[in-house]
Amino acid sequence: MALQIVMDHSGDTRHHFDAKDAEALAKAEARFKELTGRGFTAAVRSGPGEVIRTRAFDPAAEETLFFPRLVGG
Amino acid sequence: MLRFRRSGTAERSRLDCLRALYRKCRVENTREARGLRLLREWLSPRQRAQLEADGYFDVVGSDSGKRYRIYEGTMTNVYELDDIGRPKMGWCFVPSGSLVAGDVMLAQKVALETSEYAALAVANRFLPRRAQFRMVR
Repeated sequence: MALQIVMDHSGDTRHHFDAKDAEALAKAEARFKELTGRGFTAAVRSGPGEVIRTRAFDPAAEETLFFPRLVGG
Repeated sequence: MLRFRRSGTAERSRLDCLRALYRKCRVENTREARGLRLLREWLSPRQRAQLEADGYFDVVGSDSGKRYRIYEGTMTNVYELDDIGRPKMGWCFVPSGSLVAGDVMLAQKVALETSEYAALAVANRFLPRRAQFRMVR
């Protein structure tokens, strides 16, 4: 199962999906586009503690993290 | 000197509280606990050990190769380090919305490790007085 993790006020919301299921994959891609369109940053893990920012949906990504747009504090 | 000793005691107490919080968060399901668990999952083993021992972890900027220290917190908690590991400049940037500390720290780590200059472009700078104080300990 693949996983999309979205940071929000509850801590995070997790969306699990089967990447081999075309319908689930399409929903995951739509979620990716919707979130990044709203300014969220998407990142995938490439190794222990290593992350890569991603700008396009990767159907092979096992775990994708989304966090809201950064602002100056 | 007395001022520094007092600060050292307060700092140890703060770290003890922080360690207790991390232990508690491993078994709880509050939003703060979930945020800290997520952070721990995405840290490198070294960063995780640093966080538990010292209440902060270091990252390397993706564009400049500079080192930054991210302290536990939700604002004014990121410091650029100089060549010998002393805080040189504070950078304040956070994800929008009211996120818990673990999420904020993870977003800061990812931003610095993948898009350092973009993160600093939105950040406000501040003088790292608090961190310098800690270094004296």
